[in-house]
Amino acid sequence: MTGTSSTESPMQHTPLYDSHVRLGAKMAEFGGWSMPIAYPTGTIAEHLACRSDAVMFDVSHLGTVRVAGARAFEQLQSALSNDLRKIGPGRAQYTHLLDEADGSVLDDIIVWWVDDDVFDVMPNASNTDRVVAAIGGRDTTSGRAVIAVQGPNAHAQLAELCPAAADVGRFRVQRVIWQGNELMVAGTGYTGERGVEIAVPAGAAERLWDELAAAGVMPAGLGARDTLRLEAGLPLHGHELGPGITPLQAGLGWVIGWNKPSFRGREALAREQAAGIQRRLVGIATQGRRPPREHSDVRVDGQTIGSVTSGNYSPTLEHGIALAFVPPEVVLGQAVTIDVRGSDLPGTVTATSFLP
Amino acid sequence: MTTPAEHLRYTTDHEWVDVRGATIRLGITDYAQDALGDVVYVASPTIGAVVTPGDSLGEIESTKSVSAIYAPVSGTVVAVNSQLAGQPDLINSDPFGEGWICELELSEPDQVATLLTEAAYCAITTS
Repeated sequence: MTGTSSTESPMQHTPLYDSHVRLGAKMAEFGGWSMPIAYPTGTIAEHLACRSDAVMFDVSHLGTVRVAGARAFEQLQSALSNDLRKIGPGRAQYTHLLDEADGSVLDDIIVWWVDDDVFDVMPNASNTDRVVAAIGGRDTTSGRAVIAVQGPNAHAQLAELCPAAADVGRFRVQRVIWQGNELMVAGTGYTGERGVEIAVPAGAAERLWDELAAAGVMPAGLGARDTLRLEAGLPLHGHELGPGITPLQAGLGWVIGWNKPSFRGREALAREQAAGIQRRLVGIATQGRRPPREHSDVRVDGQTIGSVTSGNYSPTLEHGIALAFVPPEVVLGQAVTIDVRGSDLPGTVTATSFLP
Repeated sequence: MTTPAEHLRYTTDHEWVDVRGATIRLGITDYAQDALGDVVYVASPTIGAVVTPGDSLGEIESTKSVSAIYAPVSGTVVAVNSQLAGQPDLINSDPFGEGWICELELSEPDQVATLLTEAAYCAITTS
C-alpha cells in the first residue's frame, strides 16, 4: 500500500472550515486535516456544555467509505471483527479492523448499516486508505460533512430544526430529508452523552451548522472531544489502540465476533485468549488538578508496572484522570503513582470510564 | 482584562516582568495564555528558591500542553500567587493582573536592562 503522509500534502479543509475561522477557532492539524481545537469559549466551557446541555463538533475528518452490493455484507463480515448478525439494517455497530498476524487494531470503525446491502463504514481520518484497501468500497468522504450533536439536550435542540433527525435513537441509523437534502443520521458519538452524528451533503453543511447554533447548540472543538471521550473511557486510535494492542488488552472483547467462523485476525486473537493477555487497559484517578500525561510511567512501590496512554485534567471531576496499560493482575483500587517529569502523582486504579 | 503597561519588560519565553524597585513580579503574556489554551494547573515555585536566568520556576499545564516557567533574572522567590492553586484559569482571564505567578527579589538588578521592551516584544509576537 502506498499512502501519503499528511506532511507531504497540504492540509485538507472540511466543508465547515470557513465557519470555524469565522467563529475565531484555534485551528490545528489533525490526521491531515485543519480542524478546530477550541473556539474562544475554551475547551473547559465546551466540555461542561456537553455534559450539561448540548454541543456540536465538526467530525468531517472521519472517513466515510460506502460499501454496497450483493457481496457487501460478506466483505465486512470477513474483514471486520464484530458480527453484523448482532444488528441489522438501520443500525450502527462499533468494530475493529485487525492485523492478521498479531490481532492488533489497525483501526477502530463505526459501521452504519444503511440499507440491506448498503453500508457506510467510518474509519479514523488517517486510516481511510488502509480500510479501503482491506474491505473495498468507495471513499465518499469529500462529498459530505459530519456534525456530531452531543449532550443531554442534543435531541431536544435538534428537534427545533429537524424533528425526524432528533427521533433517531441510540445506535439507530436513519435517512432523513431536511430542506430537500438527504441526511444520514446515526445515534452514535464519542462523548459518553446522548446524541447523534449527522452526515450532511457538503453544500448544506454550513446551513445545518448555523441552524444548530441558532437553536442553542454550542460549537465545541477537538480539545473538548478528547477530554470528553477520556472521561467516558473511550479509546483513541494511536493511544489505547494501535500497533501491538489487541481488543482483548483494551478491554473490548465485545467487539470480537467469536461466533463467526473466520475473520481477519481471528487466529491471532484466539491464541492470545488461550495464553492469557499480558496487559490490560485500566483507568487511574489521580489526586489534585495536575494532569497525568501520555507515556508517563505508572508505579507501585517505586516499581514501574505500566504506562499512561492518555491523560488529562477532568473538567467534570476536577482532578486528573488517565488510561494506562498495566499487568492483568492489578486490581481496581490499587494505589499507584504516576511519574510526572520526576515527581510522583498519587492515584488509584479504576474502571476505564470515569463517569457515574 | 488588564492591558500590558508600558513599564513592563518581557522575555522571549513570553513572560512579563513588572520591575518594582528591588523586586520584580512576573507572569505570562496574553499571547502565551492564548497559545496554551485553558490552564488547569500551575506548579508554583517555592518561596526561598534561589534562581538564575533560565532556571525553571515551575510549570503551567493546559488541557493540551505543558509549558515551563523560566526565571528571567537572578534572585530569590519571595512571593507566589496562592490563588492559582484553586483558580489556575486566572492566567487565562487576567494574565497581567490576578494571574501573576511569583515575585523575585533581585540579586543582580542590572539584569533588568537585558529584558525586552514592549515594542521589542510586540515585534516578536507579530512577526
